[in-house]
Amino acid sequence: MTKNFAIFPLIVLLTLVSLPIAVMYGFLILDTFTDAPPGELWPDRFTLAHWRFLWDPSVVGNVWKAAGNSLILAVSIIVIVVPISSLAGYAVSRLNLPFRRFFLAGIMVMHAFPAVTLLIGVFFVLKFTGLYNTMIGVILVKGSLMLPFGIWIMKGFYDAVPWEIEMAGVQDGASRLTVFRRLILPQVKPGLVALSVFAFLDGWGEYLLPRILAPGSDMEVLSVFLNELVQADQLGYDFNLFKSVGVFYTLPVIILFVLFQNRLMNIFGGGTKG
Amino acid sequence: MSSSADLNTGVARKSRRSDRRRPRISGLGLALLAPALFLLSLFFFAPVILTGVFAFTDLSTSTGIGRGQYVVTPNLLRQLGDQGLTEDDATAIASVSISIDEAGIARATEGGVDPDFLSEIEDRFAGESFDDPRAFSRELRGLPNAPRRPRELTQTAEYFETSVLNTRFDNPEALTAQLADVAPDVSSDTIAWIVDRSYTGARFTTANFERLATQKETLRLIGNTALYVAATLGLFNVGLGLFLAIVLFYTPKPVTSFYSTLWLLPRITPLVLYAIMWKWFTWEDGFLPIIADQLGLPSFNYMKGSVVTAWMTMISLNGFIGASFGLILFSGALRAIPMQQLWASEVDGANRWQQVRRIILPQMRWPILFVTSYQTLSLLSSYEQIWLTTNGGPGRTTTVWALEAFTTALSNYTGNLQYGLGAAMALVLVVVGLVLSIIYLRLFKFSELVSRPKIEL
Repeated sequence: MTKNFAIFPLIVLLTLVSLPIAVMYGFLILDTFTDAPPGELWPDRFTLAHWRFLWDPSVVGNVWKAAGNSLILAVSIIVIVVPISSLAGYAVSRLNLPFRRFFLAGIMVMHAFPAVTLLIGVFFVLKFTGLYNTMIGVILVKGSLMLPFGIWIMKGFYDAVPWEIEMAGVQDGASRLTVFRRLILPQVKPGLVALSVFAFLDGWGEYLLPRILAPGSDMEVLSVFLNELVQADQLGYDFNLFKSVGVFYTLPVIILFVLFQNRLMNIFGGGTKG
Repeated sequence: MSSSADLNTGVARKSRRSDRRRPRISGLGLALLAPALFLLSLFFFAPVILTGVFAFTDLSTSTGIGRGQYVVTPNLLRQLGDQGLTEDDATAIASVSISIDEAGIARATEGGVDPDFLSEIEDRFAGESFDDPRAFSRELRGLPNAPRRPRELTQTAEYFETSVLNTRFDNPEALTAQLADVAPDVSSDTIAWIVDRSYTGARFTTANFERLATQKETLRLIGNTALYVAATLGLFNVGLGLFLAIVLFYTPKPVTSFYSTLWLLPRITPLVLYAIMWKWFTWEDGFLPIIADQLGLPSFNYMKGSVVTAWMTMISLNGFIGASFGLILFSGALRAIPMQQLWASEVDGANRWQQVRRIILPQMRWPILFVTSYQTLSLLSSYEQIWLTTNGGPGRTTTVWALEAFTTALSNYTGNLQYGLGAAMALVLVVVGLVLSIIYLRLFKFSELVSRPKIEL
C-alpha cells in the first residue's frame, strides 16, 4: 500500500482495541514467574514457586498423568479423524455416489451446525451403547463430531489436485485405489498435516465432552483437571498457580501453532466456528 | 495407428459418453465413505433423531432412561386424593397385612434381626397372618428373646408386612391383580386409573412444548439469546473483525502479523484457560477491579456482580474469540480487491475514509453476509464459555437458550435432570439451525460448490 496516509494514529487505535488481550496474555506469562503483593498488579519479585507443581504432586495433584491422558485423547482423535476424513473426502470429491449433492449439502450443514446442540442425544446414544463414562465413548464422539469438518477440508484439498494426474494413473492400468494411495495422497499431504494438527489441538483443548460424557472416568484430562483446580476453594484462588498450570497446558498448543502457523491460518480461514 | 485401435477408442469414447449421461455408481466410493457414514449416523443422525423423540417425553432422572415400573407410593395416593380419590379407597389400598412366611423371614434375616428371636417367631407364628400391625407387635413382645427397645420391635414387625405400597411391579396386570386382592371394594375404574398413574417410566407427551410456549421464562430466554447473538455478532465478529481487517490491511507487514497473531490467541487457547484468564481479568482482586479501585471507580466482581457488567463480560469474552474469525475472512476478501482500484482512488485524491467507504465496504457485502449467517448459527448454540464463566448469572439474567437446554438436561444442581424438556429445547435449536443452514446454502449458491466430480470411471 502507498504511504500517503498517516499510519501512526491507526496503530494507536489498534493497540487500544487489542489492549485487553495483550494485558491478559502478558500477565499470564508474567504471573507464572513473579509474585505481586495482594491488591497490586505489578510484580515485586521473581520466583519459580508457581511451577513447583511440575515435580511436587502435593501441590495440585499429578499433572503429568492428566497430561498423558490429554495426549491419548488428542492422538486418538487424529487416528479417527484423519484416515476417515481423507477416505471420505476423496469419495465425495472424485467418485460418483448416489445422493452426492444431498450428502455434500448434509456435510456442509453439519460442518456449519454446532454439534453441541446434539449433546443430549449423544448422551443417550452413549447410555444405550454402554459407552457412557468411558474415554472410548468421548473419543468416538469427539472424532465423529469433527468428521464433517475434516471431510469438507479434505474435499477442498482433493478438488485442488489436477485430475490429469489421476487420469494418467488410470490410463496406465493402475486401479483406482492404487492411484489414490500412490498418486493422490502425496498431493494432499499439506491437508493431512493441517488436519492432524487441527485434530490434535481440538482434542487437546476439549473440555465439555470429557466432563459431561465421562464424569466418572479415571482418565482425567488436563482441561477437566485445571477447571476442577479453579473450582476447588481450598487454594484460595491462587491465580498465579492456575496460570502456571494453564501455561503448562497451553505449551503444546503454542508450539504447534508456531510451527504450523501458516497452514493453520488457511484451515482456520476455511471455517471453524466460535 | 491401426484400424482396430481406432475402433477401440471409438467404442471407449462412446461408452464414456453414455457414462456421462447416466454415471455408474462407484462401489469404491461407497466403501471409502462407509466408515464416515457409520460414525456420523451413530453420533450425528441418531442423536438428532433421539432428541426429536425424547422431546416428546417426560424423561428425567426420576423416570429413568430404561423401561419404567408400576409403583403406588404414599405420595402418589396423596396426589390422587387431591384429584378425587375417596379416603375410603385410599385407606383400603394403603392397608397393611401381616403374614409370617418364608419371604418375610428372609427379609428379616437380611435386615440383621437376632437369629434366635427369628427362629422363635418362625416356630410360633409360621403360616399365620394378622390384620393389625399393633396386635402383631404385641404378640412379638411376648416372646422370650424379644428385644427390649420398642423401635427394634416395630422394625422387626415391618419385615413381615406386605402392602401394595412401595412394591415395584414390572407390568400393569400384576399391580392390578394385587390391588384387586388388597382392596376388593375399590371399583375397577379407580384401580385402572391408579395403575395408570403409578407408572414410573417416561411417557409420550407434548407437555414440554406446552410448557415452553406458555411459561414466562421462555420470553426472557429468547430475549437474552437475541441480545447475546446480536451484540456479539454486531460488535465483535462483524464490527471489530471488519475494523481489524481494514486497519491491518493498511499497516506495515510486521505490525500486521503481530496483531493478527495476537488476535488468534483467544481462538487457539484451550477454553478452560481462557475462562480462567477472564476470571483473573474481571473478578474481585483481578485486573480491572484493581485498576478501577486505584482510579476511584466502583470495584467489584464484574463477571457476576451486576447485570450490566456480566453482560459486557460475557459478550466480550465470546467476541474476542469470534473477532478473529471475521478478521481472517475479511482479510482474505480484502486481499482479493484489485489494487488498481485503490491506487486509482488515491490518484483522484480520495482520503482513507472515502476509500474504505466507497471502494472497500461495497465489495465486502458477501463476506459480511457470510460471517453473519455462519456465526449466527454457532452463537445460537454455543454455551461452553458462558457455562464456564458467568454460568448465566447473576441470577438467570445472562442465561441463553442453549445454556438453559444444557443445564436442564445434563448439568443442574438439584440432581433431577429433565432430559425430555432439555431435548425439547435442543430440538428447537436444531430446527432453527437447520432452517438457517438451508437459507444460507441457498444464499451462497451451494450448487457451485457441489459441481459434478471431474471423472467418473
